Amino acid sequence: MNGGDLAMEIARDRVLGPAGLDEAAIARALGQLAGGGADLADLFFETTNLRSWRLEGGRVTNGSFAMRQGVGARAAHGGHVSFAHSADMREGALQDTVGAVRALAGRGDTMRHPQGIALNRNAGRHDLYPPIDAVALKDATAWIALLERIDQLARAHDPRIVRIDANVRAQDTTILVAEADGLLAGDVRPMTILAVMVVAEANGRRARGQAGIGRRAGLDGFDAASVEAMVANAARMALHNLDAIPAPVGEMPVVLGPGYPGVLFHEAVGHGLEGDHHRKHLSAFDGKVGERIAAPGVTVIDDGGIAGQLGSLGIDDEGTAPDRTVLVEDGVLTGLMQDRLNAGLMNARSTGNGRRQSYAHLPMPRMTNTFLANGEADPADIIASIDRGIYATEFDGGQVDIVTGRFNFTTIEAWLVEKGKLVAPVTGATLIGVGHEALRHISMVGNDLAFDNGIATCGKQGQTLNVSVGQPTLRIDRMMVGGQAS
Amino acid sequence: MTELLTQSETNLRDVATLAVDLAARRGASARASVHHEGFAKIAVRDGEVETAERSGGQGLTITIFRDGRQGAASTAGFERATIERVVDEAILIAGHVQPDPDATMAPADWLAFSGPAPELYADSPRSPDVLLNAAQAMDRAASEIVRSDSQLRAGESVAVATEGLWALATSDGFCRSVQRSNDARWSVMLAQDQGGSTSAFCQSQERRVDALLSPAVLAGCAADRARQMIGARTIGSRRCPVLFDPRTAATLVGELAGALTGHAQYRRMSFLPDPVGRSVAASHLDLSEDPFEPLGLASGGFDSEGIAGSQRAILRQGMVEGLFLSTFSGRKMGMPSTGNADGFYNLRLTSSTASGDWQAMLAMLGTGLVVTEFQGGKTDPASGNWTQAIKGLWVEDGQVVHAVTDVTLASNMLAMLTGIRAVGSDVERQGPIRTGSILIDDMQVGGTA
Repeated sequence: MNGGDLAMEIARDRVLGPAGLDEAAIARALGQLAGGGADLADLFFETTNLRSWRLEGGRVTNGSFAMRQGVGARAAHGGHVSFAHSADMREGALQDTVGAVRALAGRGDTMRHPQGIALNRNAGRHDLYPPIDAVALKDATAWIALLERIDQLARAHDPRIVRIDANVRAQDTTILVAEADGLLAGDVRPMTILAVMVVAEANGRRARGQAGIGRRAGLDGFDAASVEAMVANAARMALHNLDAIPAPVGEMPVVLGPGYPGVLFHEAVGHGLEGDHHRKHLSAFDGKVGERIAAPGVTVIDDGGIAGQLGSLGIDDEGTAPDRTVLVEDGVLTGLMQDRLNAGLMNARSTGNGRRQSYAHLPMPRMTNTFLANGEADPADIIASIDRGIYATEFDGGQVDIVTGRFNFTTIEAWLVEKGKLVAPVTGATLIGVGHEALRHISMVGNDLAFDNGIATCGKQGQTLNVSVGQPTLRIDRMMVGGQAS
Repeated sequence: MTELLTQSETNLRDVATLAVDLAARRGASARASVHHEGFAKIAVRDGEVETAERSGGQGLTITIFRDGRQGAASTAGFERATIERVVDEAILIAGHVQPDPDATMAPADWLAFSGPAPELYADSPRSPDVLLNAAQAMDRAASEIVRSDSQLRAGESVAVATEGLWALATSDGFCRSVQRSNDARWSVMLAQDQGGSTSAFCQSQERRVDALLSPAVLAGCAADRARQMIGARTIGSRRCPVLFDPRTAATLVGELAGALTGHAQYRRMSFLPDPVGRSVAASHLDLSEDPFEPLGLASGGFDSEGIAGSQRAILRQGMVEGLFLSTFSGRKMGMPSTGNADGFYNLRLTSSTASGDWQAMLAMLGTGLVVTEFQGGKTDPASGNWTQAIKGLWVEDGQVVHAVTDVTLASNMLAMLTGIRAVGSDVERQGPIRTGSILIDDMQVGGTA
């Protein structure tokens, strides 16, 4: 259990207590912040502790610990947002921060809430992740042993693996959000990410492989089998890349493997369906809600409430419980992702997608766990259907231009397919397309939906967040593949 | 007079010194880095303020060294109890990790106790009101342009100011501090044609306000870039020469420099392994580093270990003369630090071969592709495999024929560096890097026309 009164209790202990704040002080500050006729006003308190251990050259010789805390204050008058933040959360500093927002807003001194705003609403409890202390120092010895085990596993995998780097990063974030509509809600968000990078060398060639696991859990979320599979994946990727032939160039059919390649829909569809881009008429999907934008059988969903996924949130950073938003249903564009600001300005309601990197950043509509739903095809049949094309299983990230809908992403593990058979691994190639065109060229959707392993991140306007992406194996009939082979 | 800072330089030095003293009392050597920033930003669109932001930030990082082991911890709190807590955390971490003979403090005689400290701060007006006026002036300039061009729509106009302080202390008695400033303005413009919308932006970044490009120039430049992309289309796959404009050329220089950092080198995550003394680029190329340029965006009198960099050649006639090393990465490779614990300082790429301005470079290109923007892609640090989605221009006989989009460009960094035919005299500065446009003989273009 997490969230609700349980998280409030922890937040009081971790956030308010050290700053000497109580709910009455928050209510007063919020009343001041909401003055001048603000349509929306909120305070976001955060404490985050981070601990990392790093393995290089066979030994864990490096560790670090960081403590971060602060409060962000926001007031919006229509679309005009004023924002200030401070690492000092004590009442005097809080009043200064709120005063800075009022000065930026330039709406005079009218006080609508001289007595403060009654904080009389709470969010409910949730079961998505436990309110544990993921950064506890008592786990240090076990984490270090696990990293050393990763080194041994990778070294034993193949003598061509010449370099192994591994690290674990545990993060413990406690938030408390107070909204001018009277909501006061807390959440405790543990997160641990384990990653391994290897370099293989042979015959004067060098190649890399990488893999990771991310969980909203502590040490006990990392079982031996998962860790062994992670190391095997990274080693396999490096050895494949050692033998890779130049990737082909030209338009051809592409098969995307299950899991992380779902980043395609995150980039090609998801970003274009964030409410802020629609309010400003910047999205290539602007005005297309209700229209068919993909082949029948293509359904894309953003769901912040899937247990075990890193994009899941008990409440978003504005205190709203996340929805399951169907973005594309059987090929038809059906939904947008909203935060409070954009929903308010677009006469819609928040879908629980209001997220921010930290107290020092403004919330925006952001994705949570975004995936393409299962179809019916057998993945083997999808590969067998290709006469000449690419089968891509891992990507090294991607980007989209919201305005044009043009996206790109670069393979880190892919094969040349000829006559339905995998011929050889190919070097990294950049795949490009336009969101709505790529959607129309999806011709086969597999039945093997999987999510990434908890290592997907998303960048938007300089803010990085952990998200999850997923999809089953699928075939896109036409896509531009940019390799080196002429 | 600073308008954004709320801490004094003396206070930051005191915090750094206290952290080092607390570590010493616990029997550890230490290095403490303390920073504070004040920040303001105003974004205006269509005559309305969209976001107004004002904030401050601060942090302390302590790295302790004891019995051949190290540990690091950081905090945003400067109270004595908090500083004691992070010093204890760092010492606890050092108690858990294994020793590493290379992870020690730099020898005291390497530290820049004195020496040149380039100016990094300019006293300029930076209040939110000043930024509001600047953003509104850009927005007005953009509106003016849009009124006479129906294909254009004004995007946001943004003004940002940052002032910062940084203090570094070590248990060898080193304690120096610097004050820094940074001003940025950018203007976004959208263009529409039958193919849909496209956006372009133009940015100016300096350490002093009066060096920034004017609102009219910024809006005009964003408009020109947006107009230039109207009617963009793909071209068929082919091999051809490619000209990178100065902005995209700077990215290539950054990738070359990144491969020469100690961090990439000792981890064997560089496409230029064991490069010193080897020829890795065309023999007409020189790359030089200067830490001391007054108000340079990547200038500094010392790095985060307290070691000064130097004015030096990184590449001479295509041959690698220097790497970017910290004490740690240097020890891993049997070399001394070069004062580059935080990466490279200001870099300048030059060529001894004949070239000219942008028009002359287009003429040298003849028939081929100009790259004006990277849309995304990767350089594989281990193999040098290079693949990008790009926007640009198709050029025939030195004349621009049409804008290009929806194409990929691929090669290998090793081939690209040796294949550089000329560097233009159209030099621009992008952050820490100065270069003109770069002409590369032969690359693989991917497109569907």
